[in-house]
Amino acid sequence: MEDNIKKQQLTIVDVTDAGPLRVTGNFILKDLKRDRMESPEEALLCMCGNSRSKPFCDCSHKK
Amino acid sequence: MEDKKGHYSGGRTYRGDEITVYWKPSACVHASYCYRELIEVFDPGRRPWVDMKAATTARIIEVVDMCPTEALTWKWNDEAKNIDIDRRHSNHVKFMRPELMGPEVDGALDQPVSVKIMIDGPIIVKGDFKLKYSGNEKDMKDGMISICRCGKSGRMPFCDGRHRHTDFEG
Repeated sequence: MEDNIKKQQLTIVDVTDAGPLRVTGNFILKDLKRDRMESPEEALLCMCGNSRSKPFCDCSHKK
Repeated sequence: MEDKKGHYSGGRTYRGDEITVYWKPSACVHASYCYRELIEVFDPGRRPWVDMKAATTARIIEVVDMCPTEALTWKWNDEAKNIDIDRRHSNHVKFMRPELMGPEVDGALDQPVSVKIMIDGPIIVKGDFKLKYSGNEKDMKDGMISICRCGKSGRMPFCDGRHRHTDFEG
């Protein structure tokens, strides 16, 4: 059980192939451009520059 | 450590009246605090790119301390003043930020990882995390990476500062 809790605490930064940056775990997302701060369990962040809902991915990279 | 031309191992020095700023380009992650905060002093398009006369010493120290890496550091020209340096000056050459100094950070283990979206710039990830990249996994201890957001970097997925030459906004 304790192991499970620890696993969730581990933060993973996943550079997906040709997709967004996937961050999961224990992290604080601070957006200096939009002056927002949040602590989600998962964030899919745009890496192609084309998303219309930056900083998040909107799957524009597939178009 | 430094010669008359302002070179030192791995970088350059810029001497002002009261302080000297050290620049180590290989450590830069293009967080761009320096030129966004103080373009008068830190202008990447100018040579030399640092003008120590364009702002007060206090303001230059303030902005150098914002640099998330050791790319920019500083010290007093009067060596005696470097002895009692205030620890809040995280980018003073003598102290620098603890996470850049290696061990002695076990207490910070449970700290959440910091994921910062820089203004029209990269994603800066700092802390203890697992980096997955091209089928590889790397445990980052007190690590820092800078991830491209404009899609134009020459060394994807990492930022190489290219966004400054594009119209990237986001």
